[in-house]
Amino acid sequence: MTELSKMIEIRGHARGGQGMVTAFEMLAKIFSYRFGFEVQAFPFFGVERTGAPIQAYLRISSLPIRVRSYIYHPNMAIVFDEGLMENPALLNGLTPDGILIINTDKPPSDFKGKAHRIVTVPATHISVERKLGSKSLPIVNAAMIGAVLKVLGADIEEAEELIKQEVPAKPEANADAAKAAYHSTSELSDPLFSPHQVNGTAGQASKPSSPMPFWDKPMSANKTGSWRVVAPKYETRQAPCSTNCPAGTDVRRFVDLAAKGKFDEAYQVIYEHNPFPAICGRVCPHFCQHSCNRIYFDGNLNIGAIERFIGDFAKSEPPAEVPATKKEKIAVVGSGPAGLTAALRLRSMGYPVTVYEAMPKAGGMMRSGIPRFRLPENVLDDEIRRIEEQGVNIITGKRVTIAELDGKYSAIITAVGSHVGMGLNLGSHEQVTDGIEFLRELLIHQKSSKIKKGDTVAVIGGGNTAVDVARTALRYGAVPTIFYRRTKQEMPAIAHEVEEALREGVVIEFLTAPVHLEPATSGRLNMAVQMMELGEPDDSGRRRPVPVPGSEKMVPVDHIITAIGQRTDPFVFSNQTVKAHQGRIELDEPQTRTPVFCAGDMAWGGTVVEAIGSGNDVAKETDAFLRGIPWKKEDSTLPVTGYDEINTAWFMPAPGHATPVTIPGNLLNNFDEVAGGLSRETVMDEAQRCLHCGECFNCGNCFNFCPDAAIYIDEENRLRVNYDYCKGCGVCVRECPSSAIHYSE
Amino acid sequence: MTETRITDTSEIRHTDLPPHHTKLVMKGNSAAAVAAKLCRVSLVTAYPITPQTSIIEEITTMIDRGEFDATSVNMESEHSVFAALKGASLVGERVFTATSGQGLLYAHEVLHAIAHMRLPIVACNVGRPSFPWNIWADQTDSISQRDTGWVQFYCESSQEVLDTVIQSYKLAEKLLLPVMVVLDAFYLSHTSENVFLPHQNLVDEFLPPDQRSGNRVDTAQPRAFGGLVGPNTYDDYNKLYWDDVNKVEKVCNKTGSEFGKVFGREYGAVEAVNIHKNTKKVLVTMATITTTVREVLACYPDIGLLKIRLFKPFPKKSVLNALSTAGDDCNIITIDRNFLGDTEGALMQEMKRALFGKTCKVFGVYAGLGGRDVSADTIEKIINLDVDSPHTEEVTWIR
Amino acid sequence: MKMMKPVNEFIIQKENIFSGALSCRGCGWTLLARYVSHVMGENTVYVVPACCFSIIAGPNPMNLMKGTVVHTLFAAAAATATGVRHALDRQGKTDTLVVVLAGDGGTFDIGLQALSGAAARQENIIYICNNNAAYMNTGVQSSTGTPSGAKTTTDPSGKKLPAKNLMGIVDAHHIPYYATASPAYLNDLVSKLEKAKDASGFRFLMIDGPCPPGHKHDPEVSIELTRLAVETRYYPLIESQDGDLIISYLPKENRPVSDYLKPQGRFAHLFGDTDTNGIREIQKQVDDSWQRLLKMQEITSSSVRK
Repeated sequence: MTELSKMIEIRGHARGGQGMVTAFEMLAKIFSYRFGFEVQAFPFFGVERTGAPIQAYLRISSLPIRVRSYIYHPNMAIVFDEGLMENPALLNGLTPDGILIINTDKPPSDFKGKAHRIVTVPATHISVERKLGSKSLPIVNAAMIGAVLKVLGADIEEAEELIKQEVPAKPEANADAAKAAYHSTSELSDPLFSPHQVNGTAGQASKPSSPMPFWDKPMSANKTGSWRVVAPKYETRQAPCSTNCPAGTDVRRFVDLAAKGKFDEAYQVIYEHNPFPAICGRVCPHFCQHSCNRIYFDGNLNIGAIERFIGDFAKSEPPAEVPATKKEKIAVVGSGPAGLTAALRLRSMGYPVTVYEAMPKAGGMMRSGIPRFRLPENVLDDEIRRIEEQGVNIITGKRVTIAELDGKYSAIITAVGSHVGMGLNLGSHEQVTDGIEFLRELLIHQKSSKIKKGDTVAVIGGGNTAVDVARTALRYGAVPTIFYRRTKQEMPAIAHEVEEALREGVVIEFLTAPVHLEPATSGRLNMAVQMMELGEPDDSGRRRPVPVPGSEKMVPVDHIITAIGQRTDPFVFSNQTVKAHQGRIELDEPQTRTPVFCAGDMAWGGTVVEAIGSGNDVAKETDAFLRGIPWKKEDSTLPVTGYDEINTAWFMPAPGHATPVTIPGNLLNNFDEVAGGLSRETVMDEAQRCLHCGECFNCGNCFNFCPDAAIYIDEENRLRVNYDYCKGCGVCVRECPSSAIHYSE
Repeated sequence: MTETRITDTSEIRHTDLPPHHTKLVMKGNSAAAVAAKLCRVSLVTAYPITPQTSIIEEITTMIDRGEFDATSVNMESEHSVFAALKGASLVGERVFTATSGQGLLYAHEVLHAIAHMRLPIVACNVGRPSFPWNIWADQTDSISQRDTGWVQFYCESSQEVLDTVIQSYKLAEKLLLPVMVVLDAFYLSHTSENVFLPHQNLVDEFLPPDQRSGNRVDTAQPRAFGGLVGPNTYDDYNKLYWDDVNKVEKVCNKTGSEFGKVFGREYGAVEAVNIHKNTKKVLVTMATITTTVREVLACYPDIGLLKIRLFKPFPKKSVLNALSTAGDDCNIITIDRNFLGDTEGALMQEMKRALFGKTCKVFGVYAGLGGRDVSADTIEKIINLDVDSPHTEEVTWIR
Repeated sequence: MKMMKPVNEFIIQKENIFSGALSCRGCGWTLLARYVSHVMGENTVYVVPACCFSIIAGPNPMNLMKGTVVHTLFAAAAATATGVRHALDRQGKTDTLVVVLAGDGGTFDIGLQALSGAAARQENIIYICNNNAAYMNTGVQSSTGTPSGAKTTTDPSGKKLPAKNLMGIVDAHHIPYYATASPAYLNDLVSKLEKAKDASGFRFLMIDGPCPPGHKHDPEVSIELTRLAVETRYYPLIESQDGDLIISYLPKENRPVSDYLKPQGRFAHLFGDTDTNGIREIQKQVDDSWQRLLKMQEITSSSVRK
């Protein structure tokens, strides 16, 4: 381009900080130095605020420019930020043959009717890709220069060096952005365009009515929301405590209610997913509190104690029975946490449910595998009774197979648990007992133990059964020692149970494994143990124990109780080996026409809470099946809030409240509960330590810190952003203690 | 109304003591101080500078003695002196201060702000030049502030100082413009002479309390004053300001006339003496030089005197009216006790502007800079300037 | 927008400014104005010299504040406030507060003379300086409040000398109350504003002023950075009542000053490969000032007064 038939007048519209004024200056230099034109570039000199709309002007002419005023009838309008197009007066005065250049990802056709010639260029895209500016304020000036050069038919190569010289930083990226934009414009001619004039909305002062101007109109006439590029938005995200609860309990919510002393409501929240709060408050490993973000601050919340209090608190309130409204009868085999949970859920949906229990009392492993000093029987009875009170029919002392039930029910749910211990291959000796059987015999059949006062008991294993067995043996006056292949760190038993066992006097030999047994004198056994060391991690991620050569030693013992794992009793499938898994199962050799579902320890897991979760799921799946609806467990895709997203400055350090543990001076035959509960006040205190990860808890910090007074409380009593004024600074996002505010595009 | 008024207070004082007056011997500075009290000023800010200092000293003494119900604040600079007045006047108080030379120049920025905030502040300036150090009579300081938007009066006597301060508040509050009342250093500031001191009741009758209501701080109606204004609004308000500036000359004459009715002494924007169809030359003066010219003039029946009392805005109509009786061949000689670094003094410039298109010739003299005495002999030299000679320059520096 | 039920934790129950301020994103000025107006109430005359707030307070015909604002000249804040105070007193409006809202340029530099005059006269006004440590309204030029190391457009390679100890100058005027405060510690800020309000005579508050365009950081970290300034002892929170100086907040851990400096573009050059001296020097200044404050606290608390 060497000649222009007439002067080109360009008006630019941008936000403060996008670099438009610099861009116009650069364009002036390009057209002067490289192409020999007369040029004039100037901004509307005013109050430039980051994000606020601004204007700049550029004249390019072959002849001397003989005008110095703003441009009212531009031949070209350049819009650096698409959002500015919302101002209807923006394109006022654009000439009938005028050109509009917009920074947008959209095609020019989206702007039809705005100008005779419409050119779009994805300048933000191009600039952000090249890390020019930030997401909240992309600096698009170089890209826009590229687009203008293209539209004016100028050579981009000619301008490249100049752009590199003139930009304040990142010369290569800027030149590259200009080039990319030059080659990325899209164009549309709109011959039907006719210029229009819209009255501006800016507050023009009326004619003076006093000798001096006054400033007496509310500043709120200035809607600073138009400055915003990114918008903060309240968005509830997941808390690790809740996502880590296998039962799906809304932990964050019940803790919050507990903090407010609303224990009844808190109970309902837990009950929605878990009908055994008092039990879980005592025996659950509490994955929730181990994932609690407060661990990294000043120690996790004692969620177990909170749950226990809530569970105990609500005992007196009898739940109402739900009428059985559905025809399809359902059988549940097994009255452990999985079976009872499934039964309760289905019963609450209106299905008549019958639970078959082989043992004389309901409760499954909760009754036969957890010693009373951890879970008092009345606590167990109470929570099972509540389920029965809601209409679940439990038939105890009846060991059934699915074949027996076939045809009498519309669905059968098997949840028989894992009550058969896996023996150690140490040969058959009468002194060797299975741990789970040992506990069951004691807890269900009150069989007097063979263990006598002063006996030496070797417990093999590192799980809860091992610890429970050892602690029970202690209460018979024996001297128990746990032999475990790995170290304390790898022990699958609940950590505080291990601590309690140690405090009670249980000895644990780590990195030790029995290898063979030899009979010794007076009915005793010599147990040969092998010392181990930790090698490479195995599939579970735990380091594999490797024998230390030549480290064998002999330990004389009176009894050996193995607790190295359990499996399912296949009786329910008429002893057919079945690969059990969660949900509907198909047997290799079908035994029933009735659909069979599977839940609990036999399917997966191994803790009460996992069994509860399994029971919840199987109930939903069974219901869906009966209604002919496909079912798939849906996990929330919302991100889980991490500790680094918490604004710890908001929180005051507050020491946690530990569960009180009373170890009796004389353990002999003392099966009293060891762990105590916290008081109402302490529980509220503890719950108030919650960081509310990912959820607004109305702390008002966003309101307090908003520099623009743009936070309000809506009709539903929620904190909300007033987008009329929010400039999108993001202070609320950053200052929100619980990370409940996030940017939305 | 553009008649020429009598302002020769030396004449007036030969008459009987008017009713409700007391005769006192007063310095110009005392007259200024007492005038502030008579005007019931409520706030005075002070910063010392020779030769103004005794004004604020006398005021603070009167306040200290309980004779003057006002607050006096000792500020840290003249900039602060005027900035404080700006705040106080905006709240609605009638305020006063006095300064001189460097002090006035230092406050320059605030003078603009006060005028554009339309605050009816009255301040006395006892004229002295800038640098090198000089403390004597010279009007360069105040004249260099003529474009700040303040109304300026130049006084000839202690009586006129007193009377002009009183009239200034009336004019200021009517038109919402600040007024500067200028006294010559020592010739007036420190010269003791007879003054008819009006009693308070007369001043109260003439000058009611400040009636401003609209443009003052009222915390019950919160609003801002003096923030950012856009180009168009700024322009619009300057147009209003200009409209009021156009009224000053008329209001000045009217106020002087009303003052005469109450106090028996009448004032106008200008005063013409001995200007008639045979007048060959008219000397144009301001402030104390006028008095000496009056005396010398007695021997020159064909020489006239035009005293400019209201200097800013320049009273063009009154000037033309005063000279309307003179013949076409009458020459004008302006006496400038100011030097703005220009070929012509300020008074000469203003007179030429006023007489643009008229046939009379305007000559100018610089006289009395930095307090150099302008005696009767000096006046004679000026009168005897050979204005008809082609060798006489348009502007002469008279020693 | 209808306010339903303000939660108790809202420090401000009734907003005394309007939304829509002409402040940059993440600016400290409006946040400060919210809290100042909250504590001072509507019966207040704000005196504002040239500074960012001259603009933020509203272009004609708008007013940000639900209160009276008297704009004045750059050098004249404390002087104009003096005039306003005495005029109000003449009218018997002694309960109307006069509050100066000034920037650091108008306080440390051009307005220092007027500030000193008013302080020495014990004028009954509250002077609040939003210290964003440079002339931000004119586009980031150095003031004597600009700290050493900070880059400004008039110190393009970083300011060589440390900021003026303005609080020391203020202290020398024997005023009844002065304090520094930070927008990150709102309860402390409110408490200091209240103490200033309750005292009489000349009261002075200096507030750390976040400025994303001037300090070159993301607006979202405005508050976080001012918090870091306090936690690293870069900006100590102090308070003096009738001559008793105390450090009103003791940071829990001794965080290095680089934690505060690093996220800011104005100090970015100090974090190059070669220059670590700059940070060490600033750390030393901060440590020395802190030791000095500790000593001052000890001296003033043991001296006999009243």
